[in-house]
Amino acid sequence: MTKKLALLIDEDLCWGCDACELACKQENHLSEGSRWIQVRTKGVQRINGKLKLTYSPARCLQCSHPPCQEVCPVDAITQRSDGIVLIDSHGCIGCKKCIEACPFGVMQFNQEKGVAEKCHLCYHRIDQGLKPACIDVCIGRCIYFGEMAELVHRYGERRWLSGRNGNERTTGL
Amino acid sequence: MKGLAGQDEKILRSHCRICHGGCGVLVYVKEGRATKIEGDPQCPINRGTLCPKGIASLQLVYHPNRLLYPLKRKGPKGGGQWDRISWEEVYDLLVSKINEYKNGYGAESIVLGYGTGRDNEAFIYRFANLLGTPNVLTAGHMCYGPRVSTSIITCGNLPVCDYEGNPKCIMVWGNNAIISNPDEYKGLYLSDALAKGAKLIVVDPRFTKLADRSDLWLQLRPGTDVALALGMLHVIIEEELYDKEFVGNWIYGWNEFVDRVKEYPPWRVSEITWVPEEKIREAARLFAKTKPACIQWGVAIEQSINCVDNNRSLIALAAVTGNLDVPGGMVFYVPPPVMNASQFGLHRSLPPEQRKKRLGGEVFKLADAFAIINPRFVWEAILYEKPYPVKMVFLISSNPVMTRANASMVYEALKKVEFLVVSDFFLTPTAEMADLVLPSATWLEMDYVAEIWKRHGYALARQKVIQVGECKSDHEMLLELGNRLGQREHWWPTLRDALNAILAPSGLTFEAFLEIGHLQGKMEYRKYLKKGFSTPTRKVELYSTRMKEWGYDPLPKFREPPESPISRPDLVKDYPYILITGMRPTAFFHSEHRQIPWLRELLPEPLVEIHPETAEKEGIKEGDWVVIESPRGRCFQRAKLTLGIDPRVIGAQHAWWFPEKEAPEHGWKESNINLLTDNDPSTCDPAMGATNLRVLMCRVSPKKD
Repeated sequence: MTKKLALLIDEDLCWGCDACELACKQENHLSEGSRWIQVRTKGVQRINGKLKLTYSPARCLQCSHPPCQEVCPVDAITQRSDGIVLIDSHGCIGCKKCIEACPFGVMQFNQEKGVAEKCHLCYHRIDQGLKPACIDVCIGRCIYFGEMAELVHRYGERRWLSGRNGNERTTGL
Repeated sequence: MKGLAGQDEKILRSHCRICHGGCGVLVYVKEGRATKIEGDPQCPINRGTLCPKGIASLQLVYHPNRLLYPLKRKGPKGGGQWDRISWEEVYDLLVSKINEYKNGYGAESIVLGYGTGRDNEAFIYRFANLLGTPNVLTAGHMCYGPRVSTSIITCGNLPVCDYEGNPKCIMVWGNNAIISNPDEYKGLYLSDALAKGAKLIVVDPRFTKLADRSDLWLQLRPGTDVALALGMLHVIIEEELYDKEFVGNWIYGWNEFVDRVKEYPPWRVSEITWVPEEKIREAARLFAKTKPACIQWGVAIEQSINCVDNNRSLIALAAVTGNLDVPGGMVFYVPPPVMNASQFGLHRSLPPEQRKKRLGGEVFKLADAFAIINPRFVWEAILYEKPYPVKMVFLISSNPVMTRANASMVYEALKKVEFLVVSDFFLTPTAEMADLVLPSATWLEMDYVAEIWKRHGYALARQKVIQVGECKSDHEMLLELGNRLGQREHWWPTLRDALNAILAPSGLTFEAFLEIGHLQGKMEYRKYLKKGFSTPTRKVELYSTRMKEWGYDPLPKFREPPESPISRPDLVKDYPYILITGMRPTAFFHSEHRQIPWLRELLPEPLVEIHPETAEKEGIKEGDWVVIESPRGRCFQRAKLTLGIDPRVIGAQHAWWFPEKEAPEHGWKESNINLLTDNDPSTCDPAMGATNLRVLMCRVSPKKD
């Protein structure tokens, strides 16, 4: 069985600098409006009487049973054996059903081409043994890429699923 | 190389300069066109990381509105009509104008200027000093210049956080090193030090991500930093947490200093700063007891009437806790063996009689000693011809209409000045008013021995990888102009020759330098043990002999900001809030980059931070356009409600213009916070002339219509 690949982000360590976003735009030649990884924040919040500021880089999580794939009327969305969910831009008819179906709101719409698009883990890079473009630019060193099982083992199920790690911080990575 | 180079694609190493710069990059080039920029994993400055601005550089370089050739004004000033001219015509015109003003009014009637500098500072000063003008208008009176000059008179050199020496406690003071460039090291090193477990104290009126990560956040009243630092020193002295051996051997004026500090007991400091007494004590203990410790300081504390004393009090904190020039403390990096920016600048060639004419030099004596002037004096010399007329302003990478205090006065002065030359990438609101506009080269279009003005111990190789239009590096332009102005014996025939001369002490040619990528000075700690500190007394002068000589208070003290609810109770009714300006976004560098699509997408509009309680009181909702007004002017920014700011404080962004809006204004009056700021000399730091951009009084209301 092929191993599943994944991108894990430790939000506790994200500084919100937006570098991943720009690296992605450059690597994948994205137009304005299309943000395959987007640093989101709810701003400063008061949690248990303490102020908290968290940045959440949102991107496609390459779901194991992708809702986007299920609703695509023309079967333009496929999943590789390593888990990467791909949209065939030639097959896509721009109906936006996948955008509505995505539970994480991370599917993007390319206005120029009239097609849906999203993070594909820079498969063109990883197929050549490189990492996705967002990783090396990160000064927080909080974007990890690799086999999902190993990442879950190293960083924990909870962090993987929610993207959060409670109060514990991972250091020395 | 880590990337994927396509067919016929080359990967070249260089160093970015989209902000204050110095990050190593790999530039992909195909058929003379740059196609991609990546962080260089081998560069010790950034180790492969890069910021959004650096990555977006190519959208700047190949922007459709980029200036590609020189322009000469036709029709009235600011009329937006231009003739394309050649570089030869540029030089002829410049030589004739410069000679006309120099002969008619003296070289001092010509003011050179740069903003934060595009690593062209050394060339600009060399040109000005050879020309004989003492007037180079920089941001140095209120940004970095104060840190350097104050450090030099206090402890001989600028102490910088030694992240590689593993600090165990970092106190970030008035700086968001993650978001903006802290000049020496970048946010990466701070981030790595925290990941290794260093304690973090953050002093900031705003709750930044650094504050979120901190062990202690001191949310002080804006402008009271020196009081807070002296309060911490009070605790450190009272509880005998200072390094007695270091203090005994290496501090000059300890008794006088202790007497001064006694005036700042924590209860009083708490009243001044709004920081609870217990937190002041806690921070003082954490900083003094955790070793090594360093202070990551920034520009925010410099744009204040307390500029010099803010800096002096922070140096005092580092010094008395024994953290100067020790591993992981605040160190004096050893420069690499190259000619530094100050040497290249030929400051000693300026004749003494010309130096005496430096605008405001008699007023701001510390600034004068470091060849720095206060902008207000330039605008007055233009407008009122006092003490003498300024006829020509030559701005190289500067947009003062957006970035200088009292924008209305700046605008009037630039409108009046007889001959305005601007070298830049775009027709900015400032360039639109020029008589001559020069198309400046970006960092991708120039060769340079980069960052030799910094005090981080490196010289970095920047190489020309592309040519765009007729754009020319400011360095090359000044060299060619200098050669035509009778300065030939002090310049070189080509830029390459100049770069070889800068590198001469290292024995390298520029070509060989490009191969190795950077030079680093060999670090040595505790250098003072051998030769003392480079001050008149060879000690750390907490009691400053230089300040005393110039007639200033030799000891740091807190001055109430000139416009605050305490100093101006008469204004409270109409202007009930404290306004801080200049909070940094990741997308922009001061007035730059608002035309870059990928960056503008990150922040499409100017934001003003308001606490939800204050917003409710003023009838302002999230996302509303807000009118921000001070006693001097007003502008509009979008409301961003946040719990991260005190309800009594309003935080606005600076330098906003709208390149997409109609020329020649480009909407410069709409969101320009400098229409509200003051540049009256009485509100500036008395020794440095630092402009107070950070503490004003304002009111806010929803914009109607």
